[in-house]
Amino acid sequence: MGSHYQQPVRGIRKSSPVVLTLVAATPLLLYQRTTGGQNPRTVIVRKIIAYNLSGGNATLDIGIGLAPLVNILPTFFIVNGMTDAWPEDDIPEVEVAADLTLQSTPAGVYVQVEVEEIE
Amino acid sequence: MPDLYPYKPGEIESIVLPDQTVGVWINKVYKFYKVVFIEPIPRCDAIEFDFGALAAGVTTAITQLNLLEMPDREFGQFRGFVIDDIAVNLWQGRSDGRYKLNNRNGRLTRATDLRDPCGHTTEFYVHEDDFAFMQVLNPTDYDLTQTRVAFYGFRYVLEVAVDASGRQYVWSPGKPENHLPAAWTRVPATAHL
Repeated sequence: MGSHYQQPVRGIRKSSPVVLTLVAATPLLLYQRTTGGQNPRTVIVRKIIAYNLSGGNATLDIGIGLAPLVNILPTFFIVNGMTDAWPEDDIPEVEVAADLTLQSTPAGVYVQVEVEEIE
Repeated sequence: MPDLYPYKPGEIESIVLPDQTVGVWINKVYKFYKVVFIEPIPRCDAIEFDFGALAAGVTTAITQLNLLEMPDREFGQFRGFVIDDIAVNLWQGRSDGRYKLNNRNGRLTRATDLRDPCGHTTEFYVHEDDFAFMQVLNPTDYDLTQTRVAFYGFRYVLEVAVDASGRQYVWSPGKPENHLPAAWTRVPATAHL
C-alpha cells in the first residue's frame, strides 16, 4: 500500500530507543519528546517496527499517557514470531504535544518508532 | 556583471568580485577596502566545530570560534548549519548577539535548513580578529556526545581603498571628512548595531 500524497518536510527526524513491553497491557514510555528548546516540540509517528516474541499473537497500542494509555493510532495486530513494519505512507499524520507511550497484550513485543519532531 | 550582494538567497556566492570596494562595518563605522583576492572555503570536516559532550538541557559557555579567525586585512563570509540536535546562538563580540530582534535572538537549529536549505539567512562575516562566538544548548532530554556546527564560505584578501589621488575613503556622515567611494558593498562584519 502506498500513497502519492506529499507535503513539505515539517520537522526533524528522530528515533525512539528499542522498547520491550514487560507486562501485558501496561503502558511504557516509548519516545520522550524534546522540550528544552524555546518551545516544546510536537511529535508525529512516521515509522513503526515491531517484533512479537511473546509466544502468541499480540496486540500493540501506541499512544500518549501512562495511566491510562490513550491510543493515537488504531491497535496493531502482530502474528506470533513476526516482525512487522509500518512505513509512513500507511500511518495517519497524528501530531501530539506529549511523550509517546506503548503497551502490548501479551508482553514481549520489541518496538521502535521513527518520529518527526516539529519546532 | 554578476548580481552579488550579502545574504543572497541560493547556493553561496562571493558577495563581490576582485577589485571591487567593500565597506566593512567595524565599531560603528565603515572602513573601506578593495578586494584583491577571493578564495572559497568548502564545507568539510576541517571547518567544523565540535563543542563536545553536552548534558541534557545544558548550555555551554560563550565560546570563541577560533577556526574562523581571519588574518589581518582579510574577512570571511560564512554560512553555517548544525549537525546534531542543538540550538546555537551566534555572537560577534562576546556580548553582541546576532540574528537580533528587539526582544530575542534567532539561532541555528536542525529546523533552520528545513526552510532555508541554502543557508543564506545564517550568513555572517568575520573581519580580522573581530571574533565570532557561539553558545550551544542541548534542548533534548538526553545527553549528547557531540555538538557539531559546520561552516563554509569565502575569504577575502583586502587592501585599503583609496581614490585616484591616493586619498583614503572615510565614512563620517554629515562631517567634512566624509569621503565615500562611488560604489561599494556593505559588509556587516561585526555587530555593534
